[in-house]
Amino acid sequence: MTFEVPEIDEPVIVQGITGRYGSLHAGLMLRYGTNVAAGVTPGKGGEAVEGVPVYDTVKEAADNTGAKASVLFVPAPALLSAAQEAAGAGIRLLVAITEHVPIRDTLKILRICQESGTRLIGPNTPGIIVPSMKLKLGIMPAPSFHEGGVALFSRSGTLMYEVADSLTRSGIGQHVALGVGGDPVNCTTLTECLDWAAAADEVNSVVVVGEIGGDAEERLAGHIEETRFHKPLVAYIAGRSAPREKHMGHAGAIIYGDYGTAESKIGALRAAGAKVARTTSEIPALVRSAR
Amino acid sequence: MRYQRRSLMRLFEYQGKALFARYGIPVPRSLLAENESQVLSAVDELGLPVVIKAQVLSGGRGRAGGVVVVKTRDAAVGEARRVLGLTVGGEPTRSLLVEEASEHSAEMYLAVSLDRGRREFVALASRSGGTEVESQARGAIVEVPVPLDGLTDDAASALGAKLGLDGRTASEFRSILRRLEKLSREEECELVEINPLAVHLDGSLVALDSKVVLDDNALFRHPEFSQLAPEDPLEGEAAKFGFAFVRLDGNIAVVGNGAGLVLSTLDLVADSGGRAACFLDLGGGAQRDRVEAALRLVRRLPDAKVILVNIFGGITRTTDVAEGLRGVLSEEPMAPVCARISGADQEEAHALLSGSGILVFGSAQEAVLAAVEAVSP
Repeated sequence: MTFEVPEIDEPVIVQGITGRYGSLHAGLMLRYGTNVAAGVTPGKGGEAVEGVPVYDTVKEAADNTGAKASVLFVPAPALLSAAQEAAGAGIRLLVAITEHVPIRDTLKILRICQESGTRLIGPNTPGIIVPSMKLKLGIMPAPSFHEGGVALFSRSGTLMYEVADSLTRSGIGQHVALGVGGDPVNCTTLTECLDWAAAADEVNSVVVVGEIGGDAEERLAGHIEETRFHKPLVAYIAGRSAPREKHMGHAGAIIYGDYGTAESKIGALRAAGAKVARTTSEIPALVRSAR
Repeated sequence: MRYQRRSLMRLFEYQGKALFARYGIPVPRSLLAENESQVLSAVDELGLPVVIKAQVLSGGRGRAGGVVVVKTRDAAVGEARRVLGLTVGGEPTRSLLVEEASEHSAEMYLAVSLDRGRREFVALASRSGGTEVESQARGAIVEVPVPLDGLTDDAASALGAKLGLDGRTASEFRSILRRLEKLSREEECELVEINPLAVHLDGSLVALDSKVVLDDNALFRHPEFSQLAPEDPLEGEAAKFGFAFVRLDGNIAVVGNGAGLVLSTLDLVADSGGRAACFLDLGGGAQRDRVEAALRLVRRLPDAKVILVNIFGGITRTTDVAEGLRGVLSEEPMAPVCARISGADQEEAHALLSGSGILVFGSAQEAVLAAVEAVSP
């Protein structure tokens, strides 16, 4: 299953727009050039944030704007119902910034999305940015990103900004940057991102920022081999020196026994033909030489 | 949007067994003891022989000598004293579980766990449990998926059949698995594990150990667990500010904004031959007061000889960070600070720190090298 990003100037909704975080980032998205057409906060219908009208329900917001995409800043306990409401109102792309979501809520959201054909990125994601379209559905700092041919996929927010910034300063732009999220379960996986990059003509190379925990990078490596993914791929894995059985900030960054170690991920990606950077600062040169 | 977070929410064996008992999973009779006289009253209550078990969260308890069978009152006192003095994986033993010793013919393994790759919960079981389970071949472990609304009787029976169980053992296995799955779902655990699940000569089953890892993001629905105090007082304090904090065993305190960024900084420290004293993620929107709170926290780490700060300012304003650093330093003496600050307004931030005594760098690598240099003999 692949996914589509909105067209240029297509309207988008912000759920949780009246909160401190939601209003800050709705403004930043607008100033970047993204068409934030409506906000949703139950009980705050009729208000406005950054000149954007607020509705009580997603359905009203969607009916009044035609939006098919929504960025969610709702509190963790409310994410399940907010995502369910959006999927029910015909929203096709959900970007869930919300962190600290219970695992079983995320699994329920995943089932709802699979049944309704809705794409959700996250939760606990910085979002997605397409610089050529001035499309920013998320919280990333816009100046670090610049138009170009790299598809950057990351399990970490700040490392995605850091890597994008160093690529940009080296003159290497990005077609898209997308955070899959720092949780144990990502509703959009690295593997799905790779399929998207394989099909996108604008993408000439891929950078993956992984970290300890789980087996997303091992699965990605398997998928590279199975699909004979042909574009140059550079990877970086954070947490080579991390202790076992400790959550290292992200709920998903934890090693149990030998499951989820950096060595396993680096080994699998190398075997699949990826170039693996030892530090983030090596990434731009590796991208350049891989092309 | 901030909830208390911990490096990992795990229950002690005795807490897990109390949960097991509440869900009707058979466990041996046991009593918790914190000193030798409590061990003796437990022995009087349970009768000899008993097993004395260190209550620690770290793995490797058995290898460290933290589990011992005693047959006399004298041995119970001696072993209680010894085990209470044990440190397992850096964790001191604060209490003991005194448990009736169980005569059994076999040890199995049973768990309900999140399978991250498949994005669903699964029930896992093996005929051979105990310490071997981690080293055994994948093929020896059988599993069935666990739907979000619960495991059916048929699915539970199917897992027992895959193990080749029959008679009383098969029916008790099915019952225990269904109860364990209900516990996992209702209490919102990431992992519940019975290892070993002992098989008695008459075919009956009993849970000899418990491992319970809670979903700490679900604690708001389980207030009874949020009463559990974190083992580490600094970890508890970090949680109040919403910092992600993990204590490590080196001498370079590592602070940054963003989990991945701090994790990559730990790797740079290790690559340069240094050892980190902690992992502290300030989180997004690191305002001045949060930076100050983080520095005040890490300066209390007894082994930290230098503080390494790595900030990539995107939405976070680097001038706020600089003011926070300068504010704390002007008030109280502190270990030397090496800081990498980049992002919006970084020149202004660097200028704010000139003459403050803080060593400021433009790249993480330079700041790391300076920090490692500062602690080198």
